[in-house]
Amino acid sequence: MLEAHSLTRVFGSTTVLDDVSFTVTPGRFTGFVGANGAGKTTSMRILMGVLAATSGSVTWDGAPITAEVRRTFGYMPEERGLYPRMKLRDQLVFFARLHGLSTSDAGERADGLLGHFGLTDRADDLLDELSLGNQQRVQIAAALVHRPSALVLDEPFSGLDPIAVESMTDLLRTEAADLPLLFSSHQLDLVERLCDDLVVLSGGRVVAAGSVTELRSRGAERYRVVLDGQDAAWLRDVRGLTVDDVDGPTALVTLDTMPPAELVAAAVARGPVLEVARVQQPLSEIFREVSR
Amino acid sequence: MSDTKDHTKEKTQDHTGDQRSDLWKVVAQREISTQLRSKSFLVSGAVLVLGLVAMVVVLTLTQGHETTYDVAVLDETGTSAVELGDDLADEIDDGTKLEAEQYDDAEAAEAAVRDGDVDAALLPVAGDVGDDSDDSWEVLGDDEVDTTVSGALSSALSTVVTTANADAQGVDLAALSQGAQVQERLLDPDAEDRGLRQVASFVFVLLFYITALGFGMQIAATVTQEKESRVVEILAAALPIRALLWGKVIGTSVLAIGQTVVLALVGVGALLVTGNGDALTILGPAILWYVLFFVIGFVALASFWSVAGSLAGRQQDLQATTAPLQLILFAPYIVAVTAGEGVKTIVSMLPIVSTMMMPSRLAEGDVPLWQLGVAILTTLVAAVLLVRLAARVYERTLLQTGRRISFGEAFRSRSDA
Repeated sequence: MLEAHSLTRVFGSTTVLDDVSFTVTPGRFTGFVGANGAGKTTSMRILMGVLAATSGSVTWDGAPITAEVRRTFGYMPEERGLYPRMKLRDQLVFFARLHGLSTSDAGERADGLLGHFGLTDRADDLLDELSLGNQQRVQIAAALVHRPSALVLDEPFSGLDPIAVESMTDLLRTEAADLPLLFSSHQLDLVERLCDDLVVLSGGRVVAAGSVTELRSRGAERYRVVLDGQDAAWLRDVRGLTVDDVDGPTALVTLDTMPPAELVAAAVARGPVLEVARVQQPLSEIFREVSR
Repeated sequence: MSDTKDHTKEKTQDHTGDQRSDLWKVVAQREISTQLRSKSFLVSGAVLVLGLVAMVVVLTLTQGHETTYDVAVLDETGTSAVELGDDLADEIDDGTKLEAEQYDDAEAAEAAVRDGDVDAALLPVAGDVGDDSDDSWEVLGDDEVDTTVSGALSSALSTVVTTANADAQGVDLAALSQGAQVQERLLDPDAEDRGLRQVASFVFVLLFYITALGFGMQIAATVTQEKESRVVEILAAALPIRALLWGKVIGTSVLAIGQTVVLALVGVGALLVTGNGDALTILGPAILWYVLFFVIGFVALASFWSVAGSLAGRQQDLQATTAPLQLILFAPYIVAVTAGEGVKTIVSMLPIVSTMMMPSRLAEGDVPLWQLGVAILTTLVAAVLLVRLAARVYERTLLQTGRRISFGEAFRSRSDA
């Protein structure tokens, strides 16, 4: 388990991170979201040890993290970077060996990852001869090549087409099945689909954190009621709920004191009902709310 | 560890238990293999090797070159004169040899000169009939006779004939020439080798300058390239920055030293092949010292080339950030070429610049052992101090990408600023 405790980082007179704490649990994908400048990259750099925190600490399985532990992590920095004039396979073998793999083991891993991305026949090409999408694939391969003990990926999906995103998430699901994985992204739909846990940053502070299900069901319970034929306006007169919106036979209501079962009963009592369904709050809405 | 299905966890355990102290080797290997595959590295190395061979060849052609002149003669007197002239010619001009070739008559000798079969002829010229006193000799050439050859032949013939005449007249030649001998005493008996030594001394300075500058710029450029391509952030997360610095310094030093050893071997080989093997007795020790000085001098500076690279945000900044290092290398080069003996002696004991000056002084003549000791010691001390300082600055500046940092700023700044 990877934990950040009260991380604060000050650049000159600007506080970029202010008392940021969160947990990355093994086996769960943790999404890191926030507007530009919210402090995601700074947090990740502090987690990886390439930047020092002004105060606060990072722990690994409850103990203060060491450089040795960090070196077993896989890292994909915001600013992509590999050796532009080095062959793909040589490059992956080099990074694997930097993390302590033997040459033969490193070679096997490099071949395996290149195979997964369909880059086997380009193994001896130079990195800068590849398309940007393929360079991104190699970048993620470089973060995975040494069988990391945790993954910290800054915007791993930016600039990828949907098929490439699919291929990369498949790989992450197999490679990082039981690892702590933290990744930042602007693509909220993607985060919603992939993540188990979420940490939302705004202006250098954590404004929301927890499992995605938890966050989405936070706040009031909202239901959509669709009646057959009749107008739904009568709901306005029912006690214990607030009608947010009515559109002919369809209404959006927030239950204040009424239990959901009573709403169903009340609706059925008035006539035929097509649907009474719980409305999950979309992540984008949560995001908008907490970032306000 | 038991054979568990959980491969990932097992590997994680291995990682943390790893001996990570030899990470610099992985970095060094990358530096070496990348360079060995780079065309520009191989081409510049080949140019240096060819240049060195060309220099030795030119040196051989311009001096220590042995030339044998064939001289046509008719009789015994001519033959003895050429034999004596052979000694004289060699004394006047090193490597000039004379060889007598007997012909039957003056016509045949003249024809041989004209056809180029011989280089000159030494012929008796008969005076008036019945009067020996008019007899004389002539040195016959085609369109010209080498001045050394004609001088040696004239002087030899005159000795031979005078001796014969003295015998005929019953004169004691030794008594006649008593007290008239002139002896030669040389203040600098090594002067004969001076040309060779000066050339060698210049070659040492030039080679060090070219090699140290070339490889130094290369270290700086690869560091900047890592910053520019942002790969440095992954490197910084993967290994201690010091290990990265050491890997770079050691990898490039191995290449530079390798190239220096190759050049030394090529130089020795070229001297042997061109028949200048005896030059090795003079230059051999200087070449060995050169390699030793190169090793410590290059390593001392290598860490600072890395710093120069880490200060530059882009390749374009390198000229500015490497300028102080270029100056450190260029100054002794100027001193070596222009300064007097005293200045050179002092400069040759200063740290780092000694690596250029000492081998050059050794090639020119003997250097007291204590001065060599001082030079090595100061450079070693400087190397240790510089590497420590460089490591600190490198750690501070490496992750500040995107802009140029001045030397002053780099030494002042705190690592977390």
